[in-house]
Amino acid sequence: MAELAEAEKFLVVGKKAERLDSLAKVLGKAKYAADSIPQNALHLKVLRSRVPHAILKGLVAPKRRRAVKAFITAKDIPGINVSSCIIPDRPLIAQDRVRSVADILAVAVAEDPDVAADFLESVQVKYESLPVLYSPFESMKSGSAKIHDSGNVARHLQLRKGNVERGFEQADVILSETYSTQFQEAAPIEPEAGFAVPGPRGSVIAVGSMQNPFYVRSAVARILGVPEEKVRVIQASTGGAFGAKSDEVAMDIAALTALTALKTRRPAALIYTREESMILHSKRHPFTIKHKTGATKDGKLTAAEIKLVADTGAYASNGPLVVVRALFHATGPYVVPNVKMDAYCVYTNNTIAGSFRGFGSPQAHFAAECQMDALAEKLDLDPIDFRLKNILRPGSETATGQVLDSSVGLEECIAEVRAASEWNRKRSAWRQESGRKRRGIGVALLYHGNSIGPEGIDRSSANLTIDEKGRVTLRIGLTEYGTGARSGLAQIASEVIGVPLSQIVIAPADTETCPDSGGTFASRTVVMGGNAVRNAATALRKKLDEVASQLLQCDIGLVEIHEGVVQRRDDPTRKITFRNLVRSCLRRKVNLSETGDFTATGVSFDERTSQGVPYLQYTFGAIVAEVEVDRFFGTVIPLKLTTAYDVGRAINPLSIEGQIEGGAAQALGYALMEELVHRNGGVVNASLRDYYLPTSLDVPEVESFIVERPGVLGPYGAKSMGEPPIDAPAPALVNAIAHAVGVRIKSLPATAEKILLALEASRT
Amino acid sequence: MMSRHLVVMNVNGKRCRLRVESRERLLDVLRERLGLTSVKEGCGTGDCGACIVILNGRIVNSCLMLAVQARNAKIETVEGLGTDKKLHPLQKAFIRHSAAQCGYCTPAMILTAKNLLEKNSRPSREQIRNAISGSLCRCTGYVKIVDAIQDAAAEMSGETVG
Repeated sequence: MAELAEAEKFLVVGKKAERLDSLAKVLGKAKYAADSIPQNALHLKVLRSRVPHAILKGLVAPKRRRAVKAFITAKDIPGINVSSCIIPDRPLIAQDRVRSVADILAVAVAEDPDVAADFLESVQVKYESLPVLYSPFESMKSGSAKIHDSGNVARHLQLRKGNVERGFEQADVILSETYSTQFQEAAPIEPEAGFAVPGPRGSVIAVGSMQNPFYVRSAVARILGVPEEKVRVIQASTGGAFGAKSDEVAMDIAALTALTALKTRRPAALIYTREESMILHSKRHPFTIKHKTGATKDGKLTAAEIKLVADTGAYASNGPLVVVRALFHATGPYVVPNVKMDAYCVYTNNTIAGSFRGFGSPQAHFAAECQMDALAEKLDLDPIDFRLKNILRPGSETATGQVLDSSVGLEECIAEVRAASEWNRKRSAWRQESGRKRRGIGVALLYHGNSIGPEGIDRSSANLTIDEKGRVTLRIGLTEYGTGARSGLAQIASEVIGVPLSQIVIAPADTETCPDSGGTFASRTVVMGGNAVRNAATALRKKLDEVASQLLQCDIGLVEIHEGVVQRRDDPTRKITFRNLVRSCLRRKVNLSETGDFTATGVSFDERTSQGVPYLQYTFGAIVAEVEVDRFFGTVIPLKLTTAYDVGRAINPLSIEGQIEGGAAQALGYALMEELVHRNGGVVNASLRDYYLPTSLDVPEVESFIVERPGVLGPYGAKSMGEPPIDAPAPALVNAIAHAVGVRIKSLPATAEKILLALEASRT
Repeated sequence: MMSRHLVVMNVNGKRCRLRVESRERLLDVLRERLGLTSVKEGCGTGDCGACIVILNGRIVNSCLMLAVQARNAKIETVEGLGTDKKLHPLQKAFIRHSAAQCGYCTPAMILTAKNLLEKNSRPSREQIRNAISGSLCRCTGYVKIVDAIQDAAAEMSGETVG
C-alpha cells in the first residue's frame, strides 16, 4: 500500500482521466485517412499475384483507355524498389519473382477506383511456377527450393544457461510436448488507407493510417530516390493498428500514392478493401514450440529445453525480432536454472507475418503456460501452487541470467486473482461436475519485457511549447491509434507543468513538426515517450518557476503551480494566474519551448548464449479464466476473466483497464476462434464473414486488478501495458478447458472441432 | 450510360435531394456527397457494422443498401446527434468511460445505443450486449462500451450518475 499512498502525491498522474481524443471521436469528427481525401484525387488499385511462388515472365496490359491515368510496374520506381523492415528482402512491386499471393505486381490509377480495378482484371500475367513451401519445416529441409538466395532461415538464435543435461538428471518428472499457434489477423476495424499530395519542387506530402511516420518517410524517400526533406508524412486518425500498421503496409501505401502524385501531379489515394488489408498486411507468426521440461517431485523446475520455429511468410518483415522476443519469454515467468533454447525465423510462401501486439510473446506464453499446467497435473499439484514454487520474485534470476530488482509484483497479482476468482473452491467443486456441460477454471501467468530492449537503440524525444494563452502543445513522433497512450503523455506534461489537462493540445504526428521519437511499437509510448515528455516538461517548469519566484518574491522552491494557479507555498494568498506568468515569461524573452530527450541504457546480452539484460523492466500479470464446455458439441462459453497486472505505475487507470479488457477480447479470439487459414500459400478466409472476430456476445466480463511495483525505466515507475494483456488469456482459457473436460488442446485456436476430436480420442 | 435516379431523403433533420446512380451505395452517398464521414467503411460486406446508420427508426448497414433504396427515408448519423457545446448523454458517457479507443466503431456504437434506448430505456447489460452485437470493436473488449451505454441510460432516465 506504500506505493498507492505515494500516488496520492500526484495531481494528474494515476487518476482516471478522460482522453483528449475522445471528443472528436464521439462527435464523428475525427478524420481518418479515407475521410479527408482531396476531391480531385486519383485512385489506385493494386494487382496481386495469383500464385504463391513463381518466376514472373511478364505482364501484358491491355491498351490503356483514357480513363486509366497510369499503370505502374516495378520499372517505374525511380529509387530503390524495397519496402521491408529488418532485411531488404521485399520489393514494393515484384520484378522478376513472386514469393506469395501478397506480392504486388502492378498498380492502375484512375479517377474511379472501380475503373482501375476493371483494368487490372484484364492484365495478363505470365508465371513459371516454382515449388510452393507452405510449412517452415519443409523450408528448412536441405534440398528445398530457396525462397531467398540467402537461404530459408532468416534468423537463428540460441540461449544457453547452465547445463540442461545435468538439469534433466536432477528431475523426477520430465515432460515433452509440442505446441502450435496460427496466423492471427490484426483486423483493425479501419482497413489501411492513405493519400499523397504533390508539392513544389518535387516534394510530396503523404497522409495515412499508420504507426510510424518517420519510418514511412524513410521508405518513401528511398523508393522515390529523393532526399528525406522532400517527403512529409502525416498520420491521420488511425482506426486500430495492433502492429499491422507498423510494418510494410503503411510504407507501401505512402510510397505508391506519393509515386503516383509526383508522376501525375495530382493527389492520389489508395484505400484497401478488407480483403486486401487481410492479405497484404503482416500477421501474427504461427509458431511451433517444442518444450521439454524437468521438475523435481516437490515441484521445482530443474531444466527446460525449448525449440521455437516461426513461419515468417515470404518476407522476413519484423520476424527476426519477433523470434528474439519469443525466445526471451519462452520459459514463462519462472526460475529455471538450466535452459537450452533455439529459435528459428523461417521463410515460406505464405503471406507475411510481422508485428502484431505481443510480438512473439503470446506464442511463447501459450506454450509455456500450457506446459506448466500439464506438468502440475503430472506432479499432482494445484496449478497455482506449482507455479508459486517457481515464479520470478524480487532478486530472482531469469533465463538470461538477469537478476531482477524489487519491481516484481507477480506474487501479488496471483494473490489477487486467486482470491477474487474463488480459485480454490471452484477448482475442487467444478472437478466434480458431471453431465453434458461442465465448467472449468484455469490460470496463466505472464511477464513482458518493456520497450524494444535487444531490438535496437531506444531513444525518444518530445517538444512542449507554451503559447501566450497558456496552452501547452505537445509534439511527438509517437502516434495514437487507439490505446490512449498519447493522452497519458499529456497527463505527464500536465502533472509536471501544473496546468489542467484541458490546457494540453496534442499535435498530429507529422514528420515536419514533431521530433522523431522512434517507433510506436513495443508498448514504448508511455515508458519511453513519457520520459522525453517529462524531461521537456521539467525544463519548462524550471523556467516558469524562475520567473514566478521573481514575481512572487520568494525562493524558487516555494513556487507551486497547479490547476493553472501559481502561488507561494508558504503564503497561498500571494498568487497569479498561469496565463499571467506565461505572459511575463514571454515579455522577458524566456523561450517557452523545450525539447526533451531520453535514451534507455543498460541493455546488453551475449549474442551466442543470450545471457545478459535484454530488458530493463518487466510487466507481470496473472489471469484466471472460467469457461463452460459442452461435451456434445465441443463448444466453449467463456464465463469470466479475472486479471491482475503489475503495471509499475498506472498513469491513467481508465486507459489501462481499456487495454486489459481489449487485450482479453483479442486473446480470446486467438484462443478460441481466430485463424487466417492458408492453403497451399493462398488465403482461404480473407473476409470478416469467414474470419471470426469476437463480438459483444463472445466476450465475458473482465475483472481487473492493478498492482504497482514501480520499475526503473518508465516515468514515475510506469511499465508497458499496451501489449501484455494479449499474452496470457489464451493459455488460461485452454487450461480452463482442460480442467472442465480433461483434454489439453495444444494447437490454437481451440475450436469446437479440436475439442470434440480430443474428447473422442480420450474415450478410446 | 448509367441511369440516374432522383432520391429525396431526410438526413439529420435536413431534406436532401440528389441524383444517384443505380449502383451507388447509401454509404458512399452519405460520405462522399453529403460529407457525413462519421459513417465508416470497415468491410463492405455487412460484417463489421462500422457503417451503421439509423434509417426509419431501425439500424442498417449502409454498405449493404443502395442509395435508391433509401428514397424518402429518414436517416440519422452521429453528425446529427450532438455538438461539442451540447453533447448527447451517450456521447458524454462514451467520453467519461473511455469507451472510444481508436474511435472507428464509435459512431455506429453510439447510434446503435441510441436506437436501443428509444425502445428500451433501461436495458440490462445482456440486452446491451445483444443490441451492439452487429458492430465489431477490436480495441475495447466491449466492456467500457456496455458501461457507457448503461450509464447514459441511467442519466437519460433522470437518475443521478455516480
